[in-house]
Amino acid sequence: MSIANRTTIAGLGLTDVGKVYDRSATELAAEAVRLAAVDAGLPLTEVDGLLVSAGVSGAPKLSLQKVLGLTDLRLLAEFNALGASPAAMIAHAAATVANGEASAVACVFADAPLKPKGSARDAFGKPRARPTGFAAYHAEIGAVTPNLFYALAAQRHMATYGTTSEQFGAIAVGQRAWAADNPAAQFRDPLTLELHQASPLVAEPLRLFDCCLVSNGGAAVIVTSAERAADLAQPPVEVLGWGQAHPGRVMHRDSDFGLRTGAADAGPAALKMAGVDVGDVDLLQLYDCYTYTVLVTLEDYGFVPKGEGGAFVAEGHLAPGGSLPCNTGGGQLSAYYLTGFTPVVEAVVQARGQGGARQVDKTDVVMVSGNGGVLEHHATLVLGGAR
Amino acid sequence: MIERDHKSAAFFDAAAEDRLVIRRCIGCRQALPPEAVVCTTCAGTDLEWVQAEGTGLLASYTVVHRAPHPAYRVPYTIGVVELDEGPWLYARVNAESPTVGLPVRVAFRHPEEGESFPVFEEVPA
Ligand SMILES: [Zn+2]
Repeated sequence: MSIANRTTIAGLGLTDVGKVYDRSATELAAEAVRLAAVDAGLPLTEVDGLLVSAGVSGAPKLSLQKVLGLTDLRLLAEFNALGASPAAMIAHAAATVANGEASAVACVFADAPLKPKGSARDAFGKPRARPTGFAAYHAEIGAVTPNLFYALAAQRHMATYGTTSEQFGAIAVGQRAWAADNPAAQFRDPLTLELHQASPLVAEPLRLFDCCLVSNGGAAVIVTSAERAADLAQPPVEVLGWGQAHPGRVMHRDSDFGLRTGAADAGPAALKMAGVDVGDVDLLQLYDCYTYTVLVTLEDYGFVPKGEGGAFVAEGHLAPGGSLPCNTGGGQLSAYYLTGFTPVVEAVVQARGQGGARQVDKTDVVMVSGNGGVLEHHATLVLGGAR
Repeated sequence: MIERDHKSAAFFDAAAEDRLVIRRCIGCRQALPPEAVVCTTCAGTDLEWVQAEGTGLLASYTVVHRAPHPAYRVPYTIGVVELDEGPWLYARVNAESPTVGLPVRVAFRHPEEGESFPVFEEVPA
């Protein structure tokens, strides 16, 4: 047995998400951890490890310990692998618990980029204050913001493999159909391929409905040993495997930017640790900052051969009723954006069998991705549903 | 307006003279993008400035329709320009209908304020 088989996600906390203006990121983080402890049936004082991850708000920080009134922790750190942080934090927590260094580790992310009169553009589009040198050149020409860099990645995938905007649209349409049954989702109205194609271009080839939304909120999980979880309130979700890959970005002719990502290394590593392969995966929760990200991750994980992701998603496999359910809560595209916690939260809900109207039948093996920066950081989790 | 720093001074000096310069690793001769501070092939830090031909192709591009900030006038095109020497750089592209693989060549902008910088134009067929 690998070390991974002895740990579980025993608690899950999710605050209100979306236009939540009355709480700071730190307050949202504290609330998420408290909710996760209550959910687990674990007194907060028994939490002896805390990993915190911040978004554009720059909090929570180490001081979350004090905010929560926690003392005598065995593990405490700020964690930053951008969008890969949640999956990477959970892997680190699982390893720490498996090693016996801590017994109940809370992992939390919260952010509050939205302001009452602001927009997503204000939250993420601000040029840095007076950059100099090459950063000033990039600011001058407008080579800024994730939208643009993911557009460059998606365009290269399209040119190389013949992927189409309609195929990206199939991902958005399928996820919106899942979101209809998620009360926490921000966008639940039906989306058609025609509406996707009619949505305004943001940065070619990406349209508005290819892009994730922006949310305020917080999410947390509590990782314990399997033995500890057996006495707690929720069906334990096993942490079966994990892996990371940080390819960076090669700015040279040989670069596989846009074509192949860290998922190609992290995914197989996580599956190997879990002792399964892609054919055993029942349910996918993939980081979906853009529709393109889902498509390239599917290919890199090995669910379809490289370059065939577009045709595969267009057949509706990821949507309700499909052969490979994916982002069953609506994902970052339709539900809410809490970086890598968006797929983690839905994975835990489904693995426990608590998905309500959107619950899938089989959750023995659930694969979760986290992606950070512009495809520079990747973390994978393989979770096992309560049996 | 572009303000130089010590790492970019040689690049902007060259741009002011309508020359495009890139970095090259003294140890292994690998050509590197202008902003490189380390060789991605051998991890060497002894880099020199060398003049590029100024020709290449679009490894990718995007036409930006939604301004990242109100200060930008849309639409505009950003390319990942693959220089013939190998390195990639992000640049403004002037092309009627850009495509991946489109041959481009460098030109220069000399704003009244701030540093000069390269832009790329479609090579006429
Ligand atoms: Zn070198």
